[in-house]
Parts: sequence; C-alpha cells; structure tokens
Amino acid sequence: MKNVVTTTELRKSFKSKKGVVEAVRGVELHVGEGEIFGFLGPNGAGKTTTLRMLATLLPIESGEAMVAGFDVKKQPHEVRRRVGYVSQAGGGDRLSTGREDLILQGQLYGMSTTDANARADELIDDLDLGEFAGRRVVTYSGGQRRRLDVGLGIMHRPDVLFLDEPTTGLDPQNRANLWELIRQLSGSGTSIFLTTHYLDEADVLSNRLAIMDHGLIVAEGTSRELKQEIAADSVVVSLKSDEGCSGATELLRQESYVSHITTEADHLRLYVDDGVAALPKLLRLLDGNGIGVRTITLSEPTLDDVFLRHTGRSLHKAGMNQRNGDSE
Amino acid sequence: MKMLRDVGLLYRRGLIHTLRIPVWVVVGISTPLLYLALFTPLLQNLAGAPGFPPTDVLDLFLPGILALMAFGSGTGAGFAIIFEIQAGFTERLQVSPASRFALLMGPVLSSLTWTYIFTIMIVAVAIPFGFHLHLAGMLVSLVLLGLLLMVFASFSIALALITKEISSLAAIMNGINLPVLLLSGVLLPLSLAPTWMRAIAHMNPMYYVVEANRILATGTIYDAKVGEAFLIMVPLTVVVMAWATRVYRRAVS
Ligand SMILES: Nc1ncnc2c1ncn2[C@@H]1O[C@H](COP(=O)(O)OP(=O)(O)O)[C@@H](O)[C@H]1O
Ligand SMILES: [Mg+2]
Repeated sequence: MKNVVTTTELRKSFKSKKGVVEAVRGVELHVGEGEIFGFLGPNGAGKTTTLRMLATLLPIESGEAMVAGFDVKKQPHEVRRRVGYVSQAGGGDRLSTGREDLILQGQLYGMSTTDANARADELIDDLDLGEFAGRRVVTYSGGQRRRLDVGLGIMHRPDVLFLDEPTTGLDPQNRANLWELIRQLSGSGTSIFLTTHYLDEADVLSNRLAIMDHGLIVAEGTSRELKQEIAADSVVVSLKSDEGCSGATELLRQESYVSHITTEADHLRLYVDDGVAALPKLLRLLDGNGIGVRTITLSEPTLDDVFLRHTGRSLHKAGMNQRNGDSE
Repeated sequence: MKMLRDVGLLYRRGLIHTLRIPVWVVVGISTPLLYLALFTPLLQNLAGAPGFPPTDVLDLFLPGILALMAFGSGTGAGFAIIFEIQAGFTERLQVSPASRFALLMGPVLSSLTWTYIFTIMIVAVAIPFGFHLHLAGMLVSLVLLGLLLMVFASFSIALALITKEISSLAAIMNGINLPVLLLSGVLLPLSLAPTWMRAIAHMNPMYYVVEANRILATGTIYDAKVGEAFLIMVPLTVVVMAWATRVYRRAVS
C-alpha cells in the first residue's frame, strides 16, 4: 500500500514568555492510501500542531514530512493543492451562504466558476446540505456547520483530508452522522487523517491509529494490534475499605499471573493474562487475607488501557489534568 | 493569472459582506456627516482669526475630513480579520493555494471601494454648503486618499494576524489614533501649531496627505506639497503592503 503521509523526526516548539513548549518532539508516522487514520491523545498532546505542520500552516522546525507525494518543506504549494484541512474551528464564512462558500472555495483552488457550481451542487446532494445551503453560515447548528466544513474540505477533491477533532462538541446523533460521512468519504478513495481525544472514535472509526502524548507517539497500529500488545485483560477491584488498598497491592504484586497493577482513587486495576482463570484466584486470595471486596469487574483491554500502559495515566484523567493546567 | 482572479474573488466577497452588515454602511456614512454638521459651525467663527488661512471654511475642512474617513476605514480593516481568524476562515485561506497577496488585497480593495463611495457622497453633500469642487484636484486627492487607506488597512490587517485578538488590536489602534490625528492637521491646520509640533508632524504620513489635499482642493495640482505627498505615500504603501503580505505568507504560529 502506498503512503499518503510519512513523517520522520518531526519537531516543533513554541517560544512563549513562560519558556519553550516542545509541542511535537520527534513524531514518526505514516498514513496509507485510502485509510482512516486516527490520531488519539489528550488535550495538549501536540495533535493539532502536527496536523498544521503537515497541512503547511506551520513551518516545520526539523524533520521530514511527505504529504500526497510531495515534500512539505520544499513544495508546500503542491501539497496545498492536494490536501483538504478542516480545523477545529471549522472555517465556514459566516456571512456567506453555504453554497456561496463552497463555490468560493472551489474557485480559490483554481476551479472554473462553472465547475465550482457543479461541484457545489454535487456536494450539497452528497452531504445532504440542501436544507440549509441557501442560508447564511452564521445561522447553522453545530452539526450543520460541521457538514459544511467537511464539504469545504473536500470541495477540490483532495487526496488527503485532515480533520482536527471533527466531532468535538457534537451531540451523539450528529456524531454518528459524521462518522457515517467519514466512512463514505473513505470508501470513495479519500485518505483521512483525523485527530480525536475520544477513545471510541479512535477505536471504532479508524482503520489504524497512533496514540500521542506530550509530543511523542507512544503507540501505533490497528486498534486490535494495540490491545493485543498489552496481552492482558484488566480487572478492576474496589475494596470495602480504603485502607486495604496498599496491603492488597503488596499482596497481589507477588502473584505470578498479575502482570501490572495501578492504584486509582478507591480501586485497583490489575492486568492479568487470562481474566477468567484469574478471577476466582484473586477472590480467594483477598478473602483469605481478610480484605473485603465490594465489586470486581473483568474487562477486555480498551484503548484507555493501552494509553494507561504506555503513559502511566488514564486518557480520561490526562485530558482533565491538561485542561485544568491550560491557561486558556 | 491566478493572483488577479484570487484578488477579484476575495474583493467581491468583501464588498458583498459589507452590504450584509448594513450598520457598517450607516456608520460609515454618518460619521463624516456628523463631523460636517457639528464641527463646521465652530470653524465658521474661527475664520479670519490670526494664523488661519484665508479660505472658505469647508474648503479648508473637508479635505481633512476625507483623510479622516480614509484613515478610519483603514485602521478598522483589521477588526473583521480578527473574527475571520477566530472562525478559522483565515486558516482555511492560508491552507489553500490562493495567492497571499490576494488574501490581503481582497479586503483592502473592498474597504477602499466603500470609502470612495462614501467620499463621493460627502463631497456631493458639501457642495451646496459652500465647498468649491475642483474636479482634477479632487481626482488626484482620491488617489492620495486611496494610498492612505491602503497603508493603514494593510497595517491594521497585519497587526490583526499578529495579535489574533480584538483587545490588543483595539489598544494599538486607539494608541496610534490620537497622535496621528492631532499631528496631521486634520481638524485644525498645523499652520496654527508651534514649530516643534510641525516638526514632529513631518513623521506622520497622514500629515502629508492632509496638506496636499488642502492644496488640491483649491484646484492647484502642480505643487511641491502634492509631489512630496506622493513621494512619501507611494513607497510607504509598497513597503507596508509587502510587509503585510509577508505576514500572511509566514504561516501563522
Ligand atoms: N501558537 C502556540 N504558541 C505557544 N504554544 C502553543 C501554540 N500552539 C500550541 N501550543 C502548545 O503546544 C502544545 C500542543 O498543543 P496542540 O498541538 O494544540 O495539542 P492538541 O491538539 O493535541 O490538543 C500545548 O502545550 C499548547 O499549549
Ligand atoms: Mg487540538
């Protein structure tokens, strides 16, 4: 399979009053042709910065990037003609109607006015924009605006479409619709590179994904591969009394079938090779040592477990901490 | 050529968008009318005072008002860009193959067009109140006013791209507003000013435009002050527009 995006040792840091922020610290990834590639990571991981470098919006500080067959540093103009980019803010022109905006977009990408009109009509049909395409963008709902944004991104039939957090802020119904739309696009041959901080989105929507944290890719592969890599089921045990926690951790750590333990607020999370076999053993052991168990749940690994294993934090919490730490 | 087409596309968009916010049009036209209505009567009593050039009040005052309009539209151009940045529209243009010069020139030209329309309307209104129109002089004036607008519009747009937020841009624009106005002789001619003030005024591009406009309003075209104004404004326009285009080109960080 051909790659539409390849990066080597991509780096970017920002200088601010508080010092230097190393936003991207040596990212290596590739996106295959026709793939839906998910870029998963908490807020502040460096996803947007990476995407903006690939889309020619930010100068690459060091490293290499090839997009749609061209070197981003040397031939940004060629790259621009072949990629679509939908930023998190969208980009719809608020005082224009959706249709006018699509046509302007096509013209700016070099289409003749006739072609731009025809393509706009085609997209209005395909993306189901008919109901609102004649209204000004400023009047659109979140879901309608997102559909137009995607339309603007693919107006010039790009080889690669970059979508930055496409479903953030959408309600479940609109989210599902957008997933469907992204799948359709992928089915018609457009390669898609999307960022997300939603586990389920990365898991269900993408064919392959990379997990990013603190400017680095910590894992890359299909969702199945990544989960198999941890080769473990996770067991969450919550105890009747909090004091039991440290004792229980000590005790369980010595068991050979327990490969990894983390302690979270009021419960323990352990990774075991074979959950079904381990469960009775665990219960017997804890009970035998007088540690009361309130609940115990067994689950197959999720991407959050993958993230946890690679970073030592749960993605959910990483996102929260980051958000609190943000000055914005 | 792609660049010219891009300029045309973004110019048209700018024109239409202004029409879609009618309040801009209303404010654009009413501000200079208010100046005419509320300031000219004050000047009327000053006429003939020592240091005051012996001309009709409106002939003296209108050229200043027109410069004020061009300056005001120019400095205001960046504010619309701030909203476009926040809506992601600017980034969308920057990621497209559209010419960077066109990204700047589209909004600048549409602002110029509206200002010309208002200018012509104001001049037409002023004639029955005693303004003496000298057509050739007025046409040359319009060119200078256009250059003035382009300088400040490009400056304002570049600052919008750099600051990315409205409060910083507003602070900077307010900061330059007063000195540029007072040191241009736009309201009262600087012939009334002490020497030191006139010396500082020579660093103000607006000063040259206002001075030249006053002469052009008398119908004189071939005058050293008019030549001087072009000599200052043409290179300044080129430099500021080149800089603003560069700011567009340099990918936003
Ligand atoms: N223009 C900028 N100036 C300074 N710091 C920035 C800038 N853009 C991003 N950053 C910082 O770089 C880091 C990565 O940000 P970003 O790429 O937006 O993350 P993500 O998209 O994964 O949430 C963050 O710490 C952010 O604050
Ligand atoms: Mg982001």
